Amino acid sequence: MSAQTINRRGPVPYTVAIVFALVFVAPLVLAILTSLKSPAEITRVLSVPTELYWQNYATAFERMGRSLLNSILITAPAVVLSIAIGCVAAYPLAFMHGRGGRFTYFVLLTGMLVPFQIVQIPLFFLIRSIGLYDTIGGLWLVHTAYAIPFCTFFMRNFFSSVPRSMYEAARIDGCSAASYFWRLLLPASASGLSALAIIQSRAIWNDLLFGMTLTSSDNARPATVAIAGFASSLQVEYGPLMAATLVSTVPVMLAFLIFQKSFVRGLLGGSGK
Amino acid sequence: MAHMPAKAGWSRTTLTFAGFLALPVALFAVFFLYPIVSTFYLSLHDWDGVAQNMRFIGLRNYWVLSAQPRFYHAVLNNISWLVFMLLGPTALGLLLAAVLDRGLRGERAFRIIFFLPFTIPAVAVAAIWRWVYEPSNGLLTTLMRNVGLGEFAQNWLGDPGVVNFALMGAVLWWTTGFAFLVFFAGLRNIPVELLEAARIEGATPWQSFWRVSFPLLWPSTIIVLGISAIDAMRLFDIVWATTSGGPAYASEVLATQMYDVAFGRFEMGRASAISVYLLLIAGVVIMPYIAYMSRRVADSEAD
Amino acid sequence: MRRIQKFAAVLGALAAATALAGSARAQEKPEIWHYYAAGSEKAGIDALIDYANKQNPDNPVGQRVIPGNVVELRRQLQTALLGGQPPAAYQSSMASELKTFVDGGRLHDLSAVWAEIKGDEIFPEGIQRVVKIGGKPYGIPFDLSLINNVFYNKAIFEKMEITPPANWDELVAACKTLREGGVEPLGNAGGPFWSLYNFYAPLVSTVGVDGYYKIASGEMGFDTPEFRKALQLYRDTMVSCYAKNWSGKTWTQTADDVVNNNTGMFMMGIWASAYFKQAGFAPGEKFDVFPAPGTDGKVIFQMDAFAVPEGPEATVKAAEGFIRAATSPKGLESFAVPKGSLAPSTAVPASIYDYAGKKFAEQYAAASKANAVLPNLFFLLPTKVGTELGNQIERFAIDPSESTENEVISTLEALRQEALAEEAYTKW
Repeated sequence: MSAQTINRRGPVPYTVAIVFALVFVAPLVLAILTSLKSPAEITRVLSVPTELYWQNYATAFERMGRSLLNSILITAPAVVLSIAIGCVAAYPLAFMHGRGGRFTYFVLLTGMLVPFQIVQIPLFFLIRSIGLYDTIGGLWLVHTAYAIPFCTFFMRNFFSSVPRSMYEAARIDGCSAASYFWRLLLPASASGLSALAIIQSRAIWNDLLFGMTLTSSDNARPATVAIAGFASSLQVEYGPLMAATLVSTVPVMLAFLIFQKSFVRGLLGGSGK
Repeated sequence: MAHMPAKAGWSRTTLTFAGFLALPVALFAVFFLYPIVSTFYLSLHDWDGVAQNMRFIGLRNYWVLSAQPRFYHAVLNNISWLVFMLLGPTALGLLLAAVLDRGLRGERAFRIIFFLPFTIPAVAVAAIWRWVYEPSNGLLTTLMRNVGLGEFAQNWLGDPGVVNFALMGAVLWWTTGFAFLVFFAGLRNIPVELLEAARIEGATPWQSFWRVSFPLLWPSTIIVLGISAIDAMRLFDIVWATTSGGPAYASEVLATQMYDVAFGRFEMGRASAISVYLLLIAGVVIMPYIAYMSRRVADSEAD
Repeated sequence: MRRIQKFAAVLGALAAATALAGSARAQEKPEIWHYYAAGSEKAGIDALIDYANKQNPDNPVGQRVIPGNVVELRRQLQTALLGGQPPAAYQSSMASELKTFVDGGRLHDLSAVWAEIKGDEIFPEGIQRVVKIGGKPYGIPFDLSLINNVFYNKAIFEKMEITPPANWDELVAACKTLREGGVEPLGNAGGPFWSLYNFYAPLVSTVGVDGYYKIASGEMGFDTPEFRKALQLYRDTMVSCYAKNWSGKTWTQTADDVVNNNTGMFMMGIWASAYFKQAGFAPGEKFDVFPAPGTDGKVIFQMDAFAVPEGPEATVKAAEGFIRAATSPKGLESFAVPKGSLAPSTAVPASIYDYAGKKFAEQYAAASKANAVLPNLFFLLPTKVGTELGNQIERFAIDPSESTENEVISTLEALRQEALAEEAYTKW
């Protein structure tokens, strides 16, 4: 990020960035305004609240209650586990060029095509029969398992971008396949890992379907179920819904801010191409 | 692994690799294959989802569906979503990532803004865009009116000919953050020296992007395109939460139709058949792409 | 490496916290499932469960909210039934909805509770017939909403000197006046229910109560001249009055239009009354209601009942105890007032309601006496026919052309034939 690179950029990138930033922000402003309106004022979509109605946030917190904590307890380990299993599967698949490897990869990827809405009945039986129904551990397992195709796909592509020469050099130096993975490949994939961590944090944090199907009480019910609860059969409590939504995006944004550092660093800590 | 050099130690490597794969493959078998098989089994039956028994009817659910205009309409919608998802969020994400790559003042703020919508749950996205698209006083119509384009305002979510485009707009806002993020990470993985070299040779930023950066973005592009394609086929949340497939099926896609048939009409067998069709169609449309692209990465590696 | 250790430590801490949280697991109470997650609906159900638990201190029940609507509830219920963990009781719609679960052998016969609460006396005949399957009650009504009223903005009506229309011609004339005055005449909203509910008024005016039930039982076809006439009446009256862009709005957005003086009338279930009130739009002052043309003296209703899945005896007993308390006059009152709906029992006095609620209660009482309490057709039809009817009527309301009319009729008629062949129809 040297000064000269900044100087080389004309006004075009700025204009583009600002225009899109405005477009991206506008709906959010609507959400923020709504989160601060009383029920009577919500009938006027574009009005600015006459006074800030913090009650929506109080309601949001009250109704989310324990579920916010649950979501954290579900998401953090599940993100780690899902990335771990993705890496573990992706590594051999990135380096095995035989038919077996390609076939395994292909089969794993078909998993991405499965619509989750249809898995839920068999899944429910499965989770109940191993005693993990309505537990946070059960959700770790499910999120990890259902992340396999995507995380494998993602990491395999990232591993492929790490030059193969590095692998071969390491092997000649007597490095075993396993220690290459731990000592060289993973550190070289920092930017990929952190991007995946962000994507997985968001995916798991925002999961509604598994949370609905596999939890039944405050023991494990995630925040998304509480958020969906602000939209009832006939009525939607827009104020608290928006307040809860804004609150619930904070942890994902935190994850984003934490992990983005490492992909800004990118290759600096990487393969040194 | 037959063509691998027959050195001593390869077999150990193969064993290590097999060990790495054991757990993922086992989990996959339990959590994916079993549900797929049971879905296929259900699809051969007439079952309301409640009764204790189901009736075997062979492939009837499949041929009943194949005669329904409603089914084809959903398939077509999935296809147009596929085209949109491959082009829209991908192109915009790439543009934004390229614009922000390396040194734009306020880069961090822009990064947060572009990523933020992606973190919002579908229920809330639907509620927000219901206001954006409110046809008489919503955000979009009001903005258009204020800049003199009021006559072009549409009945965004209520006109069967417009609703899909409106939903795509919401999805563009919602999911571009993903493509942006992946491309951004990909751009960071491109060695600075290469760009410096291009600059010294007198390439403009535009030229060096297309000649140096873009080709090196293949792995990221494959991820984004692959996921976009899959999201397009599996699309559910945002459609269900915003329009439930309406008005009158206009915005219906296969996954929402499956849901409606299963739980809105108590036809589990037929809904399972829709899932199987979805799986097959997605397989036919997407798997060749993924297979081709995977090989491409492998090939470029081998060079 | 050190980073990995740190990571492992965090993981370990999280696991420990989870284990602790799990051990603090509360003793499980029998659960009542419902989808009243928000707003006045939630206020109502909370009050109801509170009330019932006070009556049964030894057998309290818990509640579980299923966010969404009946579709999501069915999904959860199906999973739970198959998994052998059904709730003690759940919020069920009437007629076909109940019948599906009864036919599946999933529901407990509630004859005993029904007898205790004197169901045959406190519920009008039109209600009894949609909770009894094969002569036995499987659902106990607790929540009733009329869907044949038109809400109107009083200020606008007064300014334009419009009186509440009593027949179709007056409705069309009122619409004309409103439109000329720069106000959208009649609100409606997108989705498979609202247009259908509006359509019931022209349908009943055309085919009468008998015809309504004949459509419900499959005896009257969708290709009959009567049904076509009903569609045309709907087109020439309500559809011609609909506000611009109605199909792109949710029902609350349309209600907002009424509050903000953009729309004159809105035909909606009486839950709109609670919404208006919450928005500071008071019944009797800001808005008033009239029964849709053709439905005067009758009511068309939407209803929720508690159904009890077969389960362990203790759970069923708890559910029955809950229902007994919940459907007592006091119990029903505790729900209906905050929710803004009607108590289905005629034993509940009209005095508990607000201005609008009293009007609805009077309509309901009068219709009960005249035996003109009509259940929502959607739930009388086989589930798939009802759902399709909702979609087709919305489609027709968006594009009331002759070709759409023909397609709507042929689609529905084909489905009726299919359902007849499957013997899916019931004579309610």
